[in-house]
Amino acid sequence: MTKPNTGELDAEDGAREEIRRYAVGFFASLLLTGGAFAAVLSALPTSWKVVLVCMAALLQIVTHLRNFLHLSFSGQQSREDLLLVLFSVCLLAIMAGGTWYIMSDLGGRMHQSDETGMAAHAMPDP
Amino acid sequence: MSLDTSPVFGNLDWNVTPYTDLLREVNSSTIVGAGAASMLVLGAIAGVGLLTYRRWWGPLYRNWLTSPDAKKIGIMYIALALIMMARGIIEGFVMRAHQATALGTLTQEESGLVAPDHFAQLFSTHGTIMIFFVAMPLLIGLINFVLPQQLGARDMAFPVLNQVSLGLTAAGAALVMISLLIGKFGTGGWTMYPPYTGIDFSPGEGVDYWLWAILISGVGSTLTGMNFAVTIFKERAPGMHFMRMPLFCWTGLCVAIMLIYAMPALTVSSTMLVLDRYLDFHFFTNDAGGNMMNYANIFWMFGHPEVYILILPAFGVFSEISSTFSGKRLYGYTSLVIASMSIAVISFTVWLHHFFTMGQSAGVNIAFGIATMIIGVPTGVKIYDWMATMWRGRVRITAPIVYLTGFFLLFVIGGLSGIILANPSIDYQVHNSTFLVAHFHNVIIPGVLYGMLAGIHYWFPKAFGFRLSEKWGRITAILFVGGFIFTFMPLYVLGLMGMPRRSPTFQNPDFMPWMYVAVLGAALMLCALASLAWTFWTSYRNRRALAVPGGDPWNGSTLEWSTPAPVPEWTFPHIPHVQARSDWGEMKRAGDPWKAPEEYCDIEMPASTAHGLLIAGASFGLGFAMVWHVWWLAVLSFLAIPALLALRGMRVIEPRIIPAAQVEEADRRFRQQVANLAPVTRAEEETERNRGVPDISEFAG
Repeated sequence: MTKPNTGELDAEDGAREEIRRYAVGFFASLLLTGGAFAAVLSALPTSWKVVLVCMAALLQIVTHLRNFLHLSFSGQQSREDLLLVLFSVCLLAIMAGGTWYIMSDLGGRMHQSDETGMAAHAMPDP
Repeated sequence: MSLDTSPVFGNLDWNVTPYTDLLREVNSSTIVGAGAASMLVLGAIAGVGLLTYRRWWGPLYRNWLTSPDAKKIGIMYIALALIMMARGIIEGFVMRAHQATALGTLTQEESGLVAPDHFAQLFSTHGTIMIFFVAMPLLIGLINFVLPQQLGARDMAFPVLNQVSLGLTAAGAALVMISLLIGKFGTGGWTMYPPYTGIDFSPGEGVDYWLWAILISGVGSTLTGMNFAVTIFKERAPGMHFMRMPLFCWTGLCVAIMLIYAMPALTVSSTMLVLDRYLDFHFFTNDAGGNMMNYANIFWMFGHPEVYILILPAFGVFSEISSTFSGKRLYGYTSLVIASMSIAVISFTVWLHHFFTMGQSAGVNIAFGIATMIIGVPTGVKIYDWMATMWRGRVRITAPIVYLTGFFLLFVIGGLSGIILANPSIDYQVHNSTFLVAHFHNVIIPGVLYGMLAGIHYWFPKAFGFRLSEKWGRITAILFVGGFIFTFMPLYVLGLMGMPRRSPTFQNPDFMPWMYVAVLGAALMLCALASLAWTFWTSYRNRRALAVPGGDPWNGSTLEWSTPAPVPEWTFPHIPHVQARSDWGEMKRAGDPWKAPEEYCDIEMPASTAHGLLIAGASFGLGFAMVWHVWWLAVLSFLAIPALLALRGMRVIEPRIIPAAQVEEADRRFRQQVANLAPVTRAEEETERNRGVPDISEFAG
């Protein structure tokens, strides 16, 4: 077997297309990151800010998967890619959902209801 | 940070070594501290001296440190792990010796070999070293060495990344090691829970040593996981379908997946603690909305899959050796595959059982308690499969089989005590006692340690061309089994009597008999360590008598036994076309397994590079500088890493070509040698007649 195992890409093989994809991904990521910062710095209500930051984060994940990691749901790799995405989503859901379940239960038992809890625990700067 | 931080040396000064402690006050604690530091210094001097005297620097650098060969990287991982294990076992002995002398009275509460603060450092480093720098490098090293050979692959998917991973792990290990000599290690246990490890309660360098060692080596482990996964998905030999992979590869795949998904949680929790400590964040403080309980939550989200990361490769090893040394086909292959994958997934759903007593409601505890009991089921399936594999086989009691027997006896006890602990109401009674200490040592030592040592014994001839002494291998195994029983069974009793873990002193004289038994066990563990070292040494001296150039000393059935021992860097002269599960065994059945390939072609191997070494150096510099607040060095090292990556990215790197003629010559010589060697029967496997060519008519696996 003489297939190179050093991971080199063939220089001629679609290099332009590759660069275009990476560039699009890069600028989209830049925009989404900037957008998240803009949302935080803006005068919107807090809940809106949280929603906007989360949206930007999710979109950025999709951008990374598509443009940098070359995931796609059509073509040779689609089956493996789909499995990978589903498995990752499953595990992340377990982790995030579990954290939510545990920490909210703990918070409830510590009488850390949203408003009063934060007020009781927040301390003024020394 | 603080005002007296020097711009050049940070917080470093002459008062940070254990020798200054010794000069200030001479007692058993400072003597032990300075003695440990002296062992490190003398060991380093002896190592450097030996390398210089034998003129090994050049070969070491050319053949090992710069090699991107997965097999050599695997061996280096294991060497690192064994060195760290020596320190870990000695620390364990010192802790046992301390507790055997630590009976205090109400008037004089503290006594014993070492000071309480020193004791806390001991259990923190012992845990950190044993998990992150012994168990992890052992299993990653073994997978690195074996996986490509079993898959019929030439190499890992990313050979240089592999080198970088090793470098990062070694940099983390070096940080832990240097904390013996320069400064102190943290005292918060291997989990380093805040708020105790926050900047308010643990100022100083100790926790930072842990954090940076974990962050750096954690990145290395994540990268390793990706490398394994891609190798298994993309580099299998033609015909090596998933359901034809040897069980060790399956467990390797499970480990890869768990490393990828679990290690980031550790990186996140450590990074958050770093931010708390360095930049006054409030993730884990009581101020400003922080919540220290979230640390336990995130840490164990990593920590529990980690437990199965550790144990699954050992399960893989046991699957291989139970089949090979019984001369039987592995019983229940499919069930073992399903069990491994189930463990890998379920292990992500049980992390709360590490903190049942944190204060959440009973419903939450029960949910995770049930999940914990469920994960015992696939493990039970595996134990039955291995027993069924050995049932009515012609079992040869080699060293790996002694380990396997010890594993059967002891791991089941450890697993059952785990099921007991999975019940939250019982956990409330025994948590934070030595019962728990006994439980996790009872799964980690008979599970991980025995498995890895059995694997090292099993694959050693493949790496170095000679077998390990069976006699000394068995003595080591028996010492490890006996040492384990005497050290940790008393801890179950002590835990039930109410002895808290991590306790530097106690006032109950009833504990003492059990303490003496435990320190006897710890002495046996030290003997086992010495015996392990002696096994390597005596086998090296008898290497001619133990040589197995035929490459198949145990009449194995998987692909790695088809090559010479020691295995050449290109592994296979021609990538095999796999026809069946345990392909090498099928070829033995079909008749002439050592048939030469029809054609030879040039083989492309990755070129040697110092890339991993440089990255390791830079990351060690980064960690050390951050621990001591030497900001200029930290910035420099931090920038050096992307600079090195960019530099390598911009250069065209030609792979090394091994010409077909060279491969053909070596391969023909090997085939000739095999034809000339007398086949050895199973009964004579341990004798000098075993030259690595088995009697294939006896093969029944």
